[in-house]
Amino acid sequence: MSDAAGTAVAAQPAAPRTARRPIRRSGRLPAPVLVAYAMALALLVGFGSAYWVLKGEYPVGSVRIGPWTTWPKIGSREADPYARAVVARSGDVPLGVGEGLAFVASVDSAGRDLDATCSYRVGSMTPQARYWTLTVYDADGRPARTDLGRSGMTSAEILRRDDGSFLVELSRTVRPGNWLQLPSSASFTLILRLYDTPVAAGSAALDARVLPSIERGECGA
Amino acid sequence: MSETGRFVLATLCGLVLAALVHIGIVFGIPWLGERDAFSRLRSTVAAERSELVAAPGATDTWLPRPDPALAVAACAYDLRDGPVRITTKSGPLFESLSFHSRAGGVFFAVTDRAAVRGLLDLVVMTRPQLDEALAREDEDEPSRDVRVVSPTREGLVIIRVLASQPSWRGQAEEAAKAVSCTSEPVGAT
Repeated sequence: MSDAAGTAVAAQPAAPRTARRPIRRSGRLPAPVLVAYAMALALLVGFGSAYWVLKGEYPVGSVRIGPWTTWPKIGSREADPYARAVVARSGDVPLGVGEGLAFVASVDSAGRDLDATCSYRVGSMTPQARYWTLTVYDADGRPARTDLGRSGMTSAEILRRDDGSFLVELSRTVRPGNWLQLPSSASFTLILRLYDTPVAAGSAALDARVLPSIERGECGA
Repeated sequence: MSETGRFVLATLCGLVLAALVHIGIVFGIPWLGERDAFSRLRSTVAAERSELVAAPGATDTWLPRPDPALAVAACAYDLRDGPVRITTKSGPLFESLSFHSRAGGVFFAVTDRAAVRGLLDLVVMTRPQLDEALAREDEDEPSRDVRVVSPTREGLVIIRVLASQPSWRGQAEEAAKAVSCTSEPVGAT
């Protein structure tokens, strides 16, 4: 212990001297080298940061409500430059305010990542809307391709309880009632879309109780 | 200046330029990119009918994360030769139109609830074209057109028709494809 500390102290004054010597010997770095370095840094950091920020979901302006995330401004004129760039890069056409609103979930109500080997129960109500759809997407963002050939459900198809509430079961194996089969990819994403909803105008006021919860059941299917 | 100082200065210059490059890319992508929805549909500007982008339940579409219950169609427009009239008959299915300016996001959206006698009829025009139409207008007989001002000359109208049950899919696709988007000569509106 004391030995190591002693050598570290002894080495310290020598280290800067040896590090500086090669630069001094070759003279000052020529200006073109520094300019080339600055340019390379600008391109690398500029492109790298732009790629990183634009590659996935919309980077700013999200509203998180329970497990669901929505971007209330992307369907309006107030969409931020990042959202516009992401839209252009992906070829997406966002839902307009007044047309509908989409909520994306990649975690369950407890905050754990959605795992296709588990089963989930989604319910029991949605905000007011003329129609809504619930869709399962695989890890690549495509509607889940399953044996059953269906990846989503609409509010018109769903079986409801007497009080109007509903429950959708997500799993790889067949379930009675409202059942959506999970894809073979490891992770998946859920999107709830409300069409013709008064919510779009003031989604910041939404709270988690009016959106369906996503409860995880047993895992390892 | 010391060697370290010069190096730090070069790094700072590099980072400031990096910020400019970053901003340039973020603002430039909507105009320069070739993968955005408008660029993909540019070839259909002259078409008089909407072009199907995604059939309900289809997986062979370039739309990211499409809703399988929706039929999505589009009319790309270029207002250089005058306003464009969008007309659609509303049916039993939910239908909505959203207006996307090129590189500028959604500037207007309307659903079939706004249809008058089963018809949705809108005219997309630029601000100068609106001024011209207003100047030309007869005060005793004002136009009944619903006029939508597009912030850019080029843009897209996206038509979404919902097949709430799989059996409606064929009808939803037909309805999405049946929207007419015709260029109107200047002065006709």
